[in-house]
Amino acid sequence: MTSLKLGAAVLRGAVVSAFLASALSTTALAAPPVDLSKWSPEYVRSIAGTEDFDTAAECGKVTPLDYKGDLTFWYQGVFEGDPDLLRQYYKDFFETFRKTYPNINLKEQALTYNDLLDKFRTALTANAGPMVVRLQILGGVEFASKGYLQELKPEDVGWSTEDFWPGAMKSVTWEGKTYGVPTNNETMALIWNADIFKRAGLDPDKPPATWDDVVAYSKQIHDKLGIAGYGLVARVNAGNTPYRFMPQLWGYGGGVFDEADPNPTYSEIRLNSAASKRALQASYDMYVRDKSVPVSALTNQQADNQPLFVSGQLGMMISHPSDYNVMKDLQKKATGDDVAKAQTVIDNMRYGLIPTGPDGRRAVVFGGSNMHILKPEYVDGGKVDLPAAKAIICFWTSPEWSLKMAYAGSNPGNLNGFKTKWMKERLDNIKFLDVTTSMLPYGVPFPALPQTPEIMNHIIPDMLQNALTGAMTVDQAAEDAAKKVKEVAGGGGL
Amino acid sequence: MATIHNAKRRARRVDGWRWAGRIFLLFMLLYTAVPMIWMLITSFKSGFAAMAFPPEWWPKEPTLASYQKLLDPQNSVGQDFLHFFWNSLFVSTVTTILSVIVAVPAAYAFSRFSFPGRNFLFFSVLLRNMFPAVIFLVPLFILMRLLGLINTPGSLILTYMTFGLPLAIWLLKGFYDNIPIQLEQAARIDGATRFQAFVTIVMPLSVPGIIATAIYSFIGAWNEYIYAYTFLNRNDQLTLPIGIQRFFSENTTDFPGLMAASFMMSVPVVVLFLVLQRYFVRALTEGAVKH
Amino acid sequence: MTIVSGHVAASHQAPPTRASLLKQMWVSRTDYLYVLPAIAVMLIVIAYPIYYTIDLSFFKTPPGLQLRDKIFVGWDNYTAILSSEVFWKVTLNTVIWTLSSTIIAFILGFAAALALHRDFLGRGVLRAILIIPWVISAVAASYIWKWIYHSDFGIIGAILVQLGLASRPPNFIDNINSVLPSLIVVNIWREFPFAMIMLMAGLQTVPDQLLRAAQVDGASTWQRFWHVTFPHLSGVSTVTILLLAVSNFNSFIIPWIMTGGGPSNASHIWITHIYELAFGRQRWGVASAYSVLLFLILMTLGYFYVRALSGNDRRGPS
Repeated sequence: MTSLKLGAAVLRGAVVSAFLASALSTTALAAPPVDLSKWSPEYVRSIAGTEDFDTAAECGKVTPLDYKGDLTFWYQGVFEGDPDLLRQYYKDFFETFRKTYPNINLKEQALTYNDLLDKFRTALTANAGPMVVRLQILGGVEFASKGYLQELKPEDVGWSTEDFWPGAMKSVTWEGKTYGVPTNNETMALIWNADIFKRAGLDPDKPPATWDDVVAYSKQIHDKLGIAGYGLVARVNAGNTPYRFMPQLWGYGGGVFDEADPNPTYSEIRLNSAASKRALQASYDMYVRDKSVPVSALTNQQADNQPLFVSGQLGMMISHPSDYNVMKDLQKKATGDDVAKAQTVIDNMRYGLIPTGPDGRRAVVFGGSNMHILKPEYVDGGKVDLPAAKAIICFWTSPEWSLKMAYAGSNPGNLNGFKTKWMKERLDNIKFLDVTTSMLPYGVPFPALPQTPEIMNHIIPDMLQNALTGAMTVDQAAEDAAKKVKEVAGGGGL
Repeated sequence: MATIHNAKRRARRVDGWRWAGRIFLLFMLLYTAVPMIWMLITSFKSGFAAMAFPPEWWPKEPTLASYQKLLDPQNSVGQDFLHFFWNSLFVSTVTTILSVIVAVPAAYAFSRFSFPGRNFLFFSVLLRNMFPAVIFLVPLFILMRLLGLINTPGSLILTYMTFGLPLAIWLLKGFYDNIPIQLEQAARIDGATRFQAFVTIVMPLSVPGIIATAIYSFIGAWNEYIYAYTFLNRNDQLTLPIGIQRFFSENTTDFPGLMAASFMMSVPVVVLFLVLQRYFVRALTEGAVKH
Repeated sequence: MTIVSGHVAASHQAPPTRASLLKQMWVSRTDYLYVLPAIAVMLIVIAYPIYYTIDLSFFKTPPGLQLRDKIFVGWDNYTAILSSEVFWKVTLNTVIWTLSSTIIAFILGFAAALALHRDFLGRGVLRAILIIPWVISAVAASYIWKWIYHSDFGIIGAILVQLGLASRPPNFIDNINSVLPSLIVVNIWREFPFAMIMLMAGLQTVPDQLLRAAQVDGASTWQRFWHVTFPHLSGVSTVTILLLAVSNFNSFIIPWIMTGGGPSNASHIWITHIYELAFGRQRWGVASAYSVLLFLILMTLGYFYVRALSGNDRRGPS
């Protein structure tokens, strides 16, 4: 807990200035319910628990509570590796929804992050989609541009556009029209094991400040202790990879296009710029030169880093604060000696802001999910029950539930969520929450283009793999990736 | 004198081959069995113990926790696993029964009758064996949608039948070719119709072939992955291969659990095969080798 | 001779005229009922997809458009494929994969069949154990071997390090040079029992008298094998090799689950590459063109397969 106090002061200064910068970039809006220009851990604490919301009443205004209807809904579910706490909230959500709207016949389907995109696309080819889908932020624009989604904005479900993060609203906008409502927004941070740092001769309470430091620390940990330093992941077609590489890329001043700039136009490709190449070089240095990251990084996802971390075989990694809860759950399942080992790790878990690039630029992926409604002709059954759809969207994006469903690892999409009493609870219960809320202003949204899933899920990991396996030099890998982006952006390419 | 000398030399040479044979079999045994043994050992470890490096050759604290989790109907993991098990059982069994019902008359016809297009049809059925599953995923998905079979076991059953039919028909045809036609002719002379002769005389004799077909079909359906992955979304419809993958894909890579699940998934088909293998070999001998 | 064969080979008459063909079809109409279910199933599940795939191969499906709004591009997809580096790399991978897996699995299976031919204590058990890899699901096998090969926790690496033969665990599947051979080892593990069973069955048809006669004549073990056993098994061998080749060409699960075609396309074979193009990158047009090419190659293989089978058919006991 002391580490939090130490960091708080530093955070405040850093965060407020970052937020002012990002706030200036957004188009002028009517006043949001919370003052984004004051965003800091103290401010977040001050507004928590200041307002009460009655979800049933609010949503009752959109769709009457006795409405009779049918609804099919797909969403990214919680599985084996999510904290029990979160799984409980998901259960509660569906129970409460059913109690509030007893006459809506809801058929929901949970899918994993990677499966969801696959299956959603497949289903759409045969017009067999669900009526409502909660899709990762990466995917929305693709389907909006293809014309699968109905127009939808927060006003349609009883909220207002200002209730949501500007960056999040950008991710559901295509050609000037809005096609969805954000449910949650997440920004990751850096986790490290203070005990490992100490044993490797590093200051246990100071995280690496820059990405170059990450490389250096990783090497030191590996050289001194023989274990992996940084949890690099480079798996193809897995969401984890871009979420962890893009902060590095943007930190060094690079990017795919100009998406990290205040007002991106996506017209200039920057993947082969000197800055981007430097970012790729950092990964190369860790994997090939220093061998300080797991060799299996090429096929690893974040889930593969968790057991390593909790058994004390990994020094640091980028992730959500929910990982703390996951570690605790993993420890509960441990036996014998491992229980003590895990407890040591948990006691020594620290959270800090994502490192900056050499110029002090700090960036993180502005992640999250949005809910969309499909057009009737693409739905299995040919009809969309609009009031029922709005009911569930209103419910999930309400202050209460957008907070609860993002309890452990994320942040409510609906800014009013920060004012609820559950937020107060959360601040007391979830360790490291300050860090992740502090990272929100540094969030850079993915390019709002239909090609983005391919770029993020294929081209970027391919580039990493080409460079890390030595199949191409760092230079060549970056050039090759830039070429592919150009082809894809132009609508062609193999 | 010379023959005794030759006999000794031959004996030594034969011994050489025999030893080579034994060493080879030992190598093959290791190659085959060690991965399976390691799978079993891993399944008895806890999550952390599995990650130890150097690995524990034998778990310090062996635990049945992974198996308990999978088989416990109270546990959500157990519920899912048992459900997948049931789904796989259902799909495989129905596929097998239907395949036999369809293949037997077809093989008989190809064997006994001569009608125009017989050869062409026979070989076009066999040609199906050539086409990789992957190519047809999307068109079949659309087709299944048109037939209203998406997310039902029916989509898998229909597809799996086409995998098994070519080999089934070919095997059974070989079987029938070996059954002397005089038996049926005798029955026909006694007044039976062609169909009755088929059912009462021929089918009983081809039981080994039918069993072989059934085994092949069952195992194929049980282990199939890619079509099940594409056609099934709903959690309650998944078959074992997909269900297992879904458990362990997104999040914790729980290797002991994965190994335990892989073991459990393999047990039914291995047992089935071991019990019935002699029919399978016999069917191959009579059906495939001799014509 | 000719008169006898004329009587025996009643089906080899002069090609029927159109009228007599229809008449024959009508006469045999109940025969068709026997094969109707089989044919119907096959037609439904094959004809439509083939048509669909060929049609789609001439279109482009960019990410901003729905599938039905695809853009016609003629032969562009085919030329793009044939001129892309990745295609030739994947083709090379496929050839290596198919040839190695088939030949080695066949040889191992043959050797095992020979070694098991003579009865000895425990033969039944040994045979049963050797067959198990073929029966286990490919998904299970992939996960097992993935765990064995794991670059950080794998047992092979651990053994080598313990024995002092290596300072770090060797990198099997995270290395572009060793990934394909590593996967081939897994494939062979699964495939050889099939060859073994087929050849075991075949060995039982080798007439004992011939072997004994050769032995009396002074032939060595190797000579007996090469001049009596092997020629007798040529039919079964051909069929087995062809079946193995086709199965290997089509094997999707092992490369896909173990490495997903990576790292860096080093373990992509045609099948996995098509899947990634279609489902991963949404390039339906290109994937379809790829499929058509694969199709044509398999048809060629199929021609030989069918010829071998029908040759087998017509060849009686020698």
